Amino acid sequence: MMAPLVQVEGLSKKFGSVRALGDVAFEVTSGEWIAIMGPSGSGKTTLINILGGLDRPTSGRVVVDGTDVANLSERELTRYRAEKIGLVFQQFHLVPYLSAVENVMLAQYFHSVADEAEAARALVRVGLGDRLDHLPSQLSGGEQQRVAVARALINQPKLILADEPTGNLDEANEHTVLDLLQDLHASGHTILVVTHSPAIGRMADRRIELAHGRLTQIVVNVG
Amino acid sequence: MFWRILWRLLWASRSRLVLALVAVTAGAAVCAALVNLDLDAGDKLTREFRSLGANVVVSPAQSAGADSTMDFGVMSQIDSLHAPEIIAAAPYLYVVAQAGPQTQGSAQAAPVLLIVAGTWFDQVAWINSWWSVTGRRITDRGDTAECMVGQEAARSLGLTPGSQLTLRSGSREATLSVAGVIMSGGSEDSQVFVDLTTAQNLAGLNGRAGLVQLSVRGSTTAIENVMHRLAGALPGLDVQPVRQLAAADGRLLERIRGLLFATVALILVLTALGVLAAMAGLALERRRDVGMMKALGGTVRRVMRFFLAEAAVIGILGGIVGWGAGMLLADLVGEQVFATSISPRLIVLPLTVGLMIAVALAGALPLRLLGRVRPAEILRGE
Repeated sequence: MMAPLVQVEGLSKKFGSVRALGDVAFEVTSGEWIAIMGPSGSGKTTLINILGGLDRPTSGRVVVDGTDVANLSERELTRYRAEKIGLVFQQFHLVPYLSAVENVMLAQYFHSVADEAEAARALVRVGLGDRLDHLPSQLSGGEQQRVAVARALINQPKLILADEPTGNLDEANEHTVLDLLQDLHASGHTILVVTHSPAIGRMADRRIELAHGRLTQIVVNVG
Repeated sequence: MFWRILWRLLWASRSRLVLALVAVTAGAAVCAALVNLDLDAGDKLTREFRSLGANVVVSPAQSAGADSTMDFGVMSQIDSLHAPEIIAAAPYLYVVAQAGPQTQGSAQAAPVLLIVAGTWFDQVAWINSWWSVTGRRITDRGDTAECMVGQEAARSLGLTPGSQLTLRSGSREATLSVAGVIMSGGSEDSQVFVDLTTAQNLAGLNGRAGLVQLSVRGSTTAIENVMHRLAGALPGLDVQPVRQLAAADGRLLERIRGLLFATVALILVLTALGVLAAMAGLALERRRDVGMMKALGGTVRRVMRFFLAEAAVIGILGGIVGWGAGMLLADLVGEQVFATSISPRLIVLPLTVGLMIAVALAGALPLRLLGRVRPAEILRGE
């Protein structure tokens, strides 16, 4: 049997005296699409931040592609983010003074070497071949989110983490981004999406549901 | 990619960076002007001081007994030191002579005794450039046909420029034309200045000199060094400073230099504060971008390199433009204060640019602090 890509065991996170996550455990197999759901304050974003190497757990074990994230130094965490993780955020978080293609190239630059042709191909893949030199302010919300997806994919990460990727989009753009995520899933990418949207929850292979920082259930979607 | 992002950064923040650039350029201009003045006007100031008279005297050792003169070869020995600090060296031989304006047919009835100073006029012109002269100042060494007369002596002998003056010492006699009358306010006013050869002939002391006056430029230490070398090269002779003048020269020069450097230091601090103010606003705007870059896997070093390079560019641009402005400023100050043009010193350019890069980097402290930003906090919107 293939080893899981993500293993989470006894994961807890406290901010001061506030417990954000408590004793969370689950596994994700390579190629799976997981929806992380739950009400506000249930610890979804904290979980995805820890998986993405942006935060450290207070206790527990988080292993991604054989790397125990909890034991990495600050420098190793940075390298981990560059090499293994693709991040997509609700607020897009593009660098405002860089064009679409330069925003994608920035991720390449921090990973290894910037390659403009490759970055342009990634944007063509998300349907932005005619927007390469546009600044984020010249793009719609949906287009910005597609740039963020292209940026997340450019270094062929093991794991794509998306935090409410459609939360700031209208219905038409939401569909575009969801189609994109489905394509990525179909092509074998492992995706963890934090969402409030039941529709996205149903599209995923499994739903991990959190409440008050605890994992309440894991639902396997059938069909 | 690095230069591409750097260019985007500079262009996107141009309105804020212009403020920093103005601060750096203004600071660079004043610093470059002051440093250039210090380098160039140091020489000019010294020359100004040196026009106040000799500051070192070489004379026969007191232990030499009755012989109050020395061999004239002392001048060659001083020359052979090749000390650039020695601006001028004038030998003197003093003779007491009877003097009177030459009258047709007979000598004056009551001759006046006065001191005749034989010297090199070309050197005296350097050392005693502050003398006020009516008529013409003799500037040629070896001019044995003319003399210059102190104003007291001229008055008592009824001499004016163009008069003839006969000097007698024993059986020796010299008749000279008065080129100019000296007003010094000192003992020179009652003396007659002739070429050294004339004085040697009058005294019957060919090849001898009574003392040598030297004008030495530089700090107290530089002057002392030259005196030490002179003493070593001239055994048996006394090398003495004209103490008050030599010390005052050095002290004044050091004080002026101290003032210049204190001003430069103050301007550097003020410039850094100006940059700091401009960069503080920029740092707030960039907090989110830095958090994002770190989230994408950018190391602190790699991310900070953009912002430090940005500050360095400000330093380089401000330094170069400021240097140009500083040279114009230095020239203006040189004309106004020293009545002379100041030559731009090329060494000031790298020095100014280097200082401005350091100042801009110091002023970019708020941007450097961005390295501590935690991406998770930024992405959470904190």
